[in-house]
Amino acid sequence: MLHEITLNVNGELHIVPVKSHHTLLTVLREQLGITSPKRGCENGECGACTVLYDGKPVNSCMVLAVEAEGHVIETVESLAKNGELHPLQKSFIEHNAVQCGFCTPGMLMSAKGLLAENPHPTEEEIKHALAGNLCRCTGYVRIIDAIKDVADHS
Amino acid sequence: MHPFDYYKPKDFDEAFAMLTQPGKKVIPLAGSTDIIPMVRDERWLPDAVVDIKGLPGLRDIKLVDSGPLCCAGQTAQCLYIGAAARMNEIAHSELVQQYASVLAQAAQEVGHEQVRNRATLGGNMGTASPAGDTLSALLVLEADVLVKGKDEERCIPALKFFLGPRKTALQPGEIILGVQVPPLPEGTLGRYLRISRRKGADLAIVGLSVMAIPAEGGYQWRIGLGAVAPTPIRVPEAETILATGHDEATVEKAIQATLAAARPIDDIRATAAYRREMVVQLTRRALQDIIAQIP
Amino acid sequence: MTKQTTDPVGKSVPRIDAYDKVTGAVQYVDDLQFGPGLYYGKLVHSPHAHAIIKKVDVSKALAVPGVKAIVTGEDTPHRMGLYMQDRYIFARDRVRYYGEPVAGVVAISEEIAEQAAKLVEVEYEVLQPVFDPYEAAQPDAPLLHPDMAEYQWPPFIFPEPGTNISEHFKLRKGKVTDEGVDPEVWAQCAAIVEKTFRLPQIQHVPIEPHVAVARWDLSGEVTLWSPSQSPFAQRDLLAQGLGIPHGNVRVISPYVGGGFGGKAGISIEANVVVMAKAVKGHPVKVRMTREEEFFCTNVRQSLYAHTKIGCDKDGHVLAMETAYYFGGGGYNDYGVNIARAAGYSCTGPYSIPNVKGDSHSVYTNTPIGSAMRGFGMPEIHWGIEQIMDRLADEIGMDPAEFRRINCVKTGDTILTGMKMPAVDLVQCIDKVTEAINWGKEEPPSAPHKKRGKGIAIMWKAPAMPPNPGSSAIVRFNEDATVNVYVGAQDIGQGAFTVAAQMAAQVLGIPYEWVRVSVNPVDTKYSPYEWQTVASRITWSMGNAVRAAANHARTQILEIVAKYWDEDPADLDIKNGVVISYKSEREQPLKKMVVYGLPNENYEGWQGGPIIGSGKFMPTYVTNLDPDTGQGARAVVHYTVGAQAIDLEVDTETGEVEILKIASAYDVGKAINPDLVMTQIEGGAVHGMSSAFEGMFFDENGRLKNPSLVDYKIATAMDIPKEIHGDIVETPLEDGPWGARGVGEHVMVQTAPAIANAIYNATGVRFDDLPLSAEKIYRAIHAQEEQEQ
Ligand SMILES: Cc1cc2nc3c(=O)[nH]c(=O)nc-3n(C[C@H](O)[C@H](O)[C@H](O)COP(=O)(O)OP(=O)(O)OC[C@H]3O[C@@H](n4cnc5c(N)ncnc54)[C@H](O)[C@@H]3O)c2cc1C
Ligand code: FES
Ligand code: FES
Repeated sequence: MLHEITLNVNGELHIVPVKSHHTLLTVLREQLGITSPKRGCENGECGACTVLYDGKPVNSCMVLAVEAEGHVIETVESLAKNGELHPLQKSFIEHNAVQCGFCTPGMLMSAKGLLAENPHPTEEEIKHALAGNLCRCTGYVRIIDAIKDVADHS
Repeated sequence: MHPFDYYKPKDFDEAFAMLTQPGKKVIPLAGSTDIIPMVRDERWLPDAVVDIKGLPGLRDIKLVDSGPLCCAGQTAQCLYIGAAARMNEIAHSELVQQYASVLAQAAQEVGHEQVRNRATLGGNMGTASPAGDTLSALLVLEADVLVKGKDEERCIPALKFFLGPRKTALQPGEIILGVQVPPLPEGTLGRYLRISRRKGADLAIVGLSVMAIPAEGGYQWRIGLGAVAPTPIRVPEAETILATGHDEATVEKAIQATLAAARPIDDIRATAAYRREMVVQLTRRALQDIIAQIP
Repeated sequence: MTKQTTDPVGKSVPRIDAYDKVTGAVQYVDDLQFGPGLYYGKLVHSPHAHAIIKKVDVSKALAVPGVKAIVTGEDTPHRMGLYMQDRYIFARDRVRYYGEPVAGVVAISEEIAEQAAKLVEVEYEVLQPVFDPYEAAQPDAPLLHPDMAEYQWPPFIFPEPGTNISEHFKLRKGKVTDEGVDPEVWAQCAAIVEKTFRLPQIQHVPIEPHVAVARWDLSGEVTLWSPSQSPFAQRDLLAQGLGIPHGNVRVISPYVGGGFGGKAGISIEANVVVMAKAVKGHPVKVRMTREEEFFCTNVRQSLYAHTKIGCDKDGHVLAMETAYYFGGGGYNDYGVNIARAAGYSCTGPYSIPNVKGDSHSVYTNTPIGSAMRGFGMPEIHWGIEQIMDRLADEIGMDPAEFRRINCVKTGDTILTGMKMPAVDLVQCIDKVTEAINWGKEEPPSAPHKKRGKGIAIMWKAPAMPPNPGSSAIVRFNEDATVNVYVGAQDIGQGAFTVAAQMAAQVLGIPYEWVRVSVNPVDTKYSPYEWQTVASRITWSMGNAVRAAANHARTQILEIVAKYWDEDPADLDIKNGVVISYKSEREQPLKKMVVYGLPNENYEGWQGGPIIGSGKFMPTYVTNLDPDTGQGARAVVHYTVGAQAIDLEVDTETGEVEILKIASAYDVGKAINPDLVMTQIEGGAVHGMSSAFEGMFFDENGRLKNPSLVDYKIATAMDIPKEIHGDIVETPLEDGPWGARGVGEHVMVQTAPAIANAIYNATGVRFDDLPLSAEKIYRAIHAQEEQEQ
């Protein structure tokens, strides 16, 4: 079944025809060309596809695109404003929290979602918030440090 | 992924019309965190899904008066949790923490943050996986499940809702509206514990819900187990033992009774033998934990 | 360009790729756009672990509207392989593991391809499979490759046709025969430990699954886009396997979303190229699902190790006998070299006078075993490092001290007869023991927990052919910024960053002036690089970059010297300005590096655009004797290191919590110390996670846990409470600024360090991986029962 829907992604409205069974991840990547949400498992397990959905982190592979109409979707592309990196992005660079980079967009969105809800999380709370974002490279240490740093200085 | 159609009903009538199309396999859709993986694996092949999240009342978490169906005969208000309430909404709800702490704790253990922002209580119940984290909590809370079909609403006690792995008392075309948790006296204590292979984002090898409810002269206990039988189960034998007291020897007897109730199987996550051992350990921990809180 | 970092080598400058990675600007292969002409492909997988293909019928699948082509083994008559040419691109006569590609469907959409793939009908005659490498090596085992004698392999590989053994490396040192170490030597031993160890296959689990896009142009040009550690090796293999000129094959590899060896060599890429050939002119994209990633791409081999080591009463290790059987999977094209590497390093980081080692790779009916971080070393260290602990225990010596006494030291004649290049393993041991308060008993955090400490040490040499080359180009721009070109890949380890640091250092310009123009690596334009594997890039690519930068620098100094009528030896470049120590004159690089400099009174010009090129190839590695493994120089060098772990075991559940892991590695020179630390941290977690990972197969060879639901890797909640790292710097003779690699080493000995710490805590030992809370729980309680 085909649905014509309006998707609000990063503050822009896109009118797209989507199939009932296609996920938000598929539509963002294949139809809108927004490729920062990554496809790592399409099974809700890796978190590489994490986007903010009405401000909260969700796996875009676990959402049908058709139901995203009327919701606000944010991806990493929306973080930098007026040519300035978001504090989380800066902190990820400063802390060398990035290696291969494949988990990075999802990590950043999870981190943003966390800080919006809990601006001063403890280390345990950060780890808990990141449990759904797998990273095979960094051992998470620097990612946690980077988020903590932003929280401590906000 | 196998294709299916998607409907978003305006109201219940439309929802039931869509759910009961003859000759078609149509299922309700909530957070889709079970449906998408299941369809991907071709274990479920629906012709269509009906997105029920937007139906009135389905996301409410509130106190309600006793009703003709659910929560019947209660003098105090019941806690109503809509079927489409998300795990994170449940875990963070002050109402749930206050009136059904064990459920808030269980919801907090489901999957990971992104999943908890999507996964619903109704979906956890609809899937009825033996490992579903909230299910044993619903059993010990003795929640009522409010169910609606095309023609009628019914109330099914949670204790009678889960019939087997992925089997519930729902009739085709029925949806869960929500659950109602009967009021519990002040001083009720609850604990949900589970063990899994990894700390982060894993399924339970054993899940355990325990409640101690102040009763005349002491406490009434309820114990529920997940992932160790085809359905979540209650352990009345252990509960009866604990009703006599909670000194060390009695607790040990209750633990043995809990163990005797578990009928786990071997699977890739754990052997039955280890599950049995963990039933013992988790039960002891949960009981000790609660006993330590008893004033 | 506000910040200016001069002399960047040895400084923790920020990663050159970080900005693009945090903004989502980086494109991985699946992010590239190919327009409406793009087709999609799906592989048809074997449902049997071992079977003869009787018939393939594609007619029903071809009839599906939208299907463009289907290819099968009929279309791939050439055998291919990096070392052992044992593999058809699509199975022809026989399938050798569950999931092996037997056909590829090309269609206008991925969904149509997927549906059509189910309609490809293959008739099989099922054969007896064999999964265990030791069983597979026995004479009566079902034979996987009856035609092995016809295969081609390089002269340093020794297969045994007529068996499943694809490589047998023999190491004989000291008083040994093929029967074993001289009984007299064993008689001198005060303690002898003999054990069998088993490790399951595990997977790399990069977060980016394999994906490839290929286009076969009507002109005969073939382009492959793949996230690859080995674009040049892929070009070579494709040219070989398809019988076309190297110049017609172009491999383009943008950033890689995690490799760990899994994207080294070739896996599905050749299949995709063959599928593209069937629809010339159209790009074809094939993406592995996470499930396919587990059973249809490379994995780490399983290992069966039987090892016996003895020491005298003072703790000197006198003798070792070891037999390794690596379960290489259905094809050992890459795997044979892992068994070889495990053979010539079979002692682990110890000087042992008498050694008999036999290392085999064996065909088994399981997914293809191939390169994975550590390349055989994590596997063999698992047993060795536990035996060393047991020996120390038996003679009553501290396990750290035991290792200090026996570990390899600079100048030792090691097992292959080679002199050990300069390293300081003792210092690594000192650092890690100090970091975790070694020897100090500390209380557990709760009565039902037991606390323990453990240590393990490691070595690893880059395992590769004797002569893998690197090359690099540096090119100046008008403003004296520089573009560096390399064929090495940044798989997250930071290769591009260190390339920029090295170029800036040699050229005397700030780090910020350097761009690394290798995204994507493109075999058509990038200078040659053998492969980004073996932890060889900082060293080998680094030497090439240094040579290229020196080449450019020499040209610049000669021009300026001539201009000033001075001797180039008196000139230097500092912060982008050529200076003379003699005359104190200054000449900015700006402009002159492209436009040159005028002669006096503008009577002509000299110089011109500066381009430097450089290469590096080790020239000194020698053959090893096939009967003894002896030779003057087996390998280029070794990196060594130590890890010590402080942990707690919950005796009620078997759960392990790592309180602290301390690592120290001798990297020669840390070009970028913080990047070394990020390897140390990431490796510690990877190593810890790997100890609990395993691929599990049913009796038919079907993988039971092909998903992240049941193949668990460490999450942020599982990591050690504290990760500590120390860097030791004993310069490597031919390393750039003394540097040697460390990317793989960081996880090699983590599993045995954990096992040794668990033993220290509970008195229980484990011979087999994976560990699990359940296994630990059971072992602790079995032991308690025994004691009662
Ligand atoms: C990565 C990951 C991790 C997970 N971890 C856990 C875990 O740790 N513990 C756990 O318990 N579960 C876990 N799950 C499973 C899943 O998230 C839960 O079962 C969740 O509660 C399902 O809810 P949903 O709203 O997403 O259901 P959906 O997928 O929308 O639906 C699930 C089933 O319930 C039916 N259904 C949904 N709503 C209703 C209704 N109102 N009335 C009748 N039927 C209905 C649907 O028809 C379907 O059959 C995990 C899932 C993922 C993807
Ligand atoms: S791709 Fe969505 S969680 Fe992995
Ligand atoms: S940086 Fe590679 S997966 Fe996280």
